[in-house]
Amino acid sequence: MAQKSNRWKQLQPYFQSMKAPFKAIWADPLGRPGSILFILILFVAIFAPVLATHDPHVMNENIEGTAAPFVDGEWQRMSVIGDRPLNSTAVISPGESYSVGREGIILHFDGDEWVEKESPVDISLQSVDFFSPEFGFAVGEKGTIILFDGQAWQQVDSPVEIMLKGVAVPAEDMALAVGEEGTILQWDGSSWTRLESPTERDLNAVFMTSPDSGVLVGGRGTIIHYEEGEFVNASFRTMLDGTFRDLNAVAISPEGFGFTTGQRGEILGFDGEDWFNMSSPESRELTGVGIVDADKAYIVGIRGIVLEYDGEAWSRMDLGYRRSFRGLDISEGYGFGIGTDPYINELSPPTRDHLFGTTHLGRDIWSQVMYGSRTALIVGIVTALLVNIIGVVIGLVSGYFRGRVDNILMRIVDIMYGLPLEPFAIILVLIFRPSLWIIILAIGLLTWRTNARIIRSQVLSLVERPFIKAARVAGAGDLRIILVHIAPNILPLAFLQLAVAIGYAITAEATLSFLGLGPPRLYSWGTILHAARLSGAWRTAWWWIIPPGVFISLTVVSVFLISRSLEVLTNPRLRGGNTRAPGSK
Amino acid sequence: MGKKEFIIRRLLQMVVTFLIILTGLFFVFRLALPDPTSALVMEGLSAEAQAMVRARFGLDRPLWQQYFIYLGNFFQGEFGMSFHYRSAIAPIVWEKMLNTLVLMFPAIIISYSTGPILGVILSWRRGSRIEYSGIVGGLFLRSAPVFWTGMIFIMLFGITLGILPTSGMRTLPYEATGFLDKVFTLDFLWHLILPAMTIAIYYMALPMLIMRNTMLEVMGEDFIELCQAKGLSERVIMYKHAARNALLPVVTQAAITIGLAVGGQVVVEVVFSWPGLGREIIQSVRTSDFPMAQACFMLMAGMVMVMNFLADLLYGYLDPRVVYQKGGK
Repeated sequence: MAQKSNRWKQLQPYFQSMKAPFKAIWADPLGRPGSILFILILFVAIFAPVLATHDPHVMNENIEGTAAPFVDGEWQRMSVIGDRPLNSTAVISPGESYSVGREGIILHFDGDEWVEKESPVDISLQSVDFFSPEFGFAVGEKGTIILFDGQAWQQVDSPVEIMLKGVAVPAEDMALAVGEEGTILQWDGSSWTRLESPTERDLNAVFMTSPDSGVLVGGRGTIIHYEEGEFVNASFRTMLDGTFRDLNAVAISPEGFGFTTGQRGEILGFDGEDWFNMSSPESRELTGVGIVDADKAYIVGIRGIVLEYDGEAWSRMDLGYRRSFRGLDISEGYGFGIGTDPYINELSPPTRDHLFGTTHLGRDIWSQVMYGSRTALIVGIVTALLVNIIGVVIGLVSGYFRGRVDNILMRIVDIMYGLPLEPFAIILVLIFRPSLWIIILAIGLLTWRTNARIIRSQVLSLVERPFIKAARVAGAGDLRIILVHIAPNILPLAFLQLAVAIGYAITAEATLSFLGLGPPRLYSWGTILHAARLSGAWRTAWWWIIPPGVFISLTVVSVFLISRSLEVLTNPRLRGGNTRAPGSK
Repeated sequence: MGKKEFIIRRLLQMVVTFLIILTGLFFVFRLALPDPTSALVMEGLSAEAQAMVRARFGLDRPLWQQYFIYLGNFFQGEFGMSFHYRSAIAPIVWEKMLNTLVLMFPAIIISYSTGPILGVILSWRRGSRIEYSGIVGGLFLRSAPVFWTGMIFIMLFGITLGILPTSGMRTLPYEATGFLDKVFTLDFLWHLILPAMTIAIYYMALPMLIMRNTMLEVMGEDFIELCQAKGLSERVIMYKHAARNALLPVVTQAAITIGLAVGGQVVVEVVFSWPGLGREIIQSVRTSDFPMAQACFMLMAGMVMVMNFLADLLYGYLDPRVVYQKGGK
């Protein structure tokens, strides 16, 4: 117990001299904002994953809903009609259409332009169909079904929570909806009920030619006919017809013939009785089919694919579209191919989504800067601690023992002073590999020299003080004198050196990373600027280079301000207000 | 110990330091990269051809022999053959060094002629708003990474305003018979403005802040009181008496800064595509041109050492109180 309290007594000078620097920082009019700024940046570093709005490595894509009108037998220019991807469209009449898509978006076309309608849901809508301008359904994720009654869209009860992918509304008291796991729902005029399904495969689309007749298609080549309340499997012309690929869309003409299409360019034709394989000019995914008349039909697919049917065979059309189609509906020779295109959001100036804009690869700069604060502070603090430990130990030993030890150590310091920092680090990286540790090592190896010198000179003057001599006379050993009497007295100075070293290390890390010597796959403010310079886009993309630089500067300024207020502590002559009148102290 | 003795001791120490660094560098390179020819010869070259290349560069001898040959050559100003340029290194690095110096000296002269004056003003306005904004502004300029300010300057003056050239020393193509011929032109000055300003602004803050601090110390001394008692005007006291005495640390810092700048501002040369030593060392690292990297590094280290030495001498010359003695009593 006595031992313990004794030890506590020994530690007390440490605590006392530990407190002093913080008091000094807080008392200084510049030290206070400096420390607040530093704490803020520390918080940014700690909470970087929360503050980052995007994954800094991910190429951010922009997604828009697009529509390509088909008018009087001609395809028109594709245009952007919404800021979310669209999944399905329904043409009610040549002057009126609806499209639905992600996040519950509902767009209405009145013959002139697309207008967004109020939606009762915010989850993805997959399919829409209308019986009349006053009656239609849309279905989507989690079994969502919404009804349009001529006034507004409203959600109706659904018996399932499964993703619904297709809906067809041939009458006000008859509608079918299909979805994953073979789900089939029927509307009887007042509510939806689940029907016994002949399949467990996903169903992707449904097309009704009348309330009594329709076709359902889905995964692994599933084709099911609906005839007067009964589900019957499709019949094929030959044993070899049919497919095992997923089918995405189906359309049947009033005359009874039809097409279905799906993955890998698959196209099947229907002659009113049997299904048969058709040769396809395309091998990529096809997503929509629309019939004009017996001699004309269209199929659309990803990457702007449009295929035309001339009554005999399908051929490719190049309309210059590059955005992916997700659906097609043609009615009375008039229709829309609608879709989406995720394109890389490159070199975007700051927006609400990307606060600092994006890089040439569509990466979010704000998130990179947030993560960069971690690298900067880790390198800064670890290096500064390393430097300070080396510096204090060498300074203490050298200053206390003097003589030969001092001579050797100070010659080593002299040699270190001959090494220029950046070239030295460059050589280190050349020999080893760029990594965080090499950077810390390079900066650490070269900056302890100053710390050691400064601490040593302080120790030299301390050793001559009466209280050290008194301690020696009292019989205190070297270790005890160093630890109990000298070390607490150099703590303020060590603190000052720590702050200086943090600023120095952060700048050095940024510099090395800027030269491309930073650790790969790790964001730092320097690497962001390096990437900007490499891309060549920085000359105009101001949003790319200003934020990292400002962050570096602010961080370094904050530690400089802190170190400046510590300077007052170690050099009392700087204290005091206006010393214009000399001797006013 | 006299002044002469101090200088001789310091010079000797410098030579030893230089030798140690040179030796360390040589062996670190050879041990980390036992076969530098791998960077030199193409793959698929026959064994005889490879041996020939090795013999040509003297890499077939034992390591200690290589070391002494290297040492001997180095002090004769022979730095070996560049893998990249396939020619002697010495003329290339000497020219690069001049290029670096011709950029660094104007920049440092600008910063060390304006910085101290600003420092005097700051110290005179102790506790005022001007002092605080001066300190914060100075610290910000010192904190902003120099390559970043360079990029901002290029964007502002080179791209947006389009009034200043942003890369190289001269407009290409140009003909110059020698270094002086290249430098004594308006075109060169035009190219110098942006990089030199970038460096000058970065280095300006340090003398300013040091000047302010020492001014505050000096103004607490008795002779200032005496000056006031004599009835001298504030301006005279400030510039003639106080500033003169406070200049000492600034001058020392200037010498150290030149040393560091010469060896340290690799980034500015990279940003402004200035064909100096710093850019050369980066290029040699990228092309694995080890002899070149070694030569550049040693030149930079040498310059740092010479400048540190000059700083010590200057300090002793300017402050008679400095006594030359061995560290520790």
